[in-house]
Amino acid sequence: MIRKKEDAMELLDRYLQAIKKHLPRKRQDDILAELRANYEAQLEDKEASLGRPLTQGEAEDWLRQLGSPVAVAGRYLPQQYLIGPCIFPVYWYVLKIAAFWAAIIYTVVCVVTLTLQPHTANDIANAFLRVPAVFFNLAAWITLVFVVLEFVATRFPQKLPPIAGISQQWSPSSLPPLEKSKSQHDKPRSRAIAVAEVIFNALALGWLLLIPALPILLFGPGVAYFHASPFTLAHQWILFYWCLVGLASLQLLLRIVNLYRGTWQEHHPVQHIVMKALSLIPLGVLLNAPNQVLVLLRNPARDAVQYGATLDSTNRGIHLATQVIVVIVVLQLLWDIFQLIRNRMEDQPAV
Amino acid sequence: MTLAESLFENLRLELRRGCLTLAVLTQLRQEHYGYTLRKSLAESGLAIDESTLYPLLRRLEAQGLLVSQWREEDKRNKRFYRLSDDGGLILGQLLQEWQAINASINRILGQPE
Repeated sequence: MIRKKEDAMELLDRYLQAIKKHLPRKRQDDILAELRANYEAQLEDKEASLGRPLTQGEAEDWLRQLGSPVAVAGRYLPQQYLIGPCIFPVYWYVLKIAAFWAAIIYTVVCVVTLTLQPHTANDIANAFLRVPAVFFNLAAWITLVFVVLEFVATRFPQKLPPIAGISQQWSPSSLPPLEKSKSQHDKPRSRAIAVAEVIFNALALGWLLLIPALPILLFGPGVAYFHASPFTLAHQWILFYWCLVGLASLQLLLRIVNLYRGTWQEHHPVQHIVMKALSLIPLGVLLNAPNQVLVLLRNPARDAVQYGATLDSTNRGIHLATQVIVVIVVLQLLWDIFQLIRNRMEDQPAV
Repeated sequence: MTLAESLFENLRLELRRGCLTLAVLTQLRQEHYGYTLRKSLAESGLAIDESTLYPLLRRLEAQGLLVSQWREEDKRNKRFYRLSDDGGLILGQLLQEWQAINASINRILGQPE
């Protein structure tokens, strides 16, 4: 449908009005007058070439081509960042480090708190549900600090303290020492090391197997005191011991196989992760001890009154220590898996 | 838009950014207002979006490379821009730089692979 010239002009007026709302107040009239003159001249040219006024659709297409009012106005505004490209890499680095340590500290605090206090399944669920809030708060505070840093760095660069990575005043001599590079890490292992590992693994297994017959190998001279003490170890320790023997045997077997197959030069990260995961089994055996009792009295009827309290605190202490060790092993395991995935992704050829 | 197309578009815009400034300064050795400047650049084969050109004129004026004045033409008030004295000096330096870069690229392109 052919529209009157005033209709296209009205649409242009509405377009300019929408742009005006997003322009800086001081300059909006000047910018708008210039835009109007340019757009009107362009509109006249278009209509002169067509020999008629633009239709509604043509006028809309033209304005759409010019860009949305917000985008057009945005080009007249200075570029602004909450955190600019100079500071962003430092911000991202700090955020990652802080999130890593927050995860560790939060986990340890939760485990210790839940262990030392009586707790229900609801308390454990709440500890998990608080995780997003912990990370959100951490990210919010770090972001706020860096927004302030960006503001100071942009407007008052001379007042910015010399912060590594942010301030322009830095010294090459303050750079951190060289880290062990990936290529060094991937350096093939020597055959001597591989053979030595098999020998030491075999010796460790032999030592383990001799302990039941010669407990002095584990306790040293203290074995006499242990035999004389009113305490003895619970049956769970025997299971724990055989799990350790199994793990040491498996490790020895894998090392011998690697040596036999000639793959001793390679690092075996998956084997390493599997072994670490399997090491959770003996720890699980200790954690699942009935009533968390790992040390007993030889003669409860006689010694319960005198040594009962010591026994309880000893069992609680061993249980708590085992829980902490499990948490550490799980975190190490997660970290190893993360490193393995990252290395595999880095090793993939870029598309 | 595929990833390769998007990458090309980003690199193309980056490459054009400095060239557009050079073209605008060069064209404004002669006085123009926004729309006629855009038309004359397009006729020379360098089309620029309105949303890029008009704010660019403002920035170059704020940097002292252009001067402007409002004047009536064809019963309409228009803002005319032209190169300032400082802009002329900078344009000369930029053109030298441009020619040096152009010559280097041509030499590199001419090198046997």
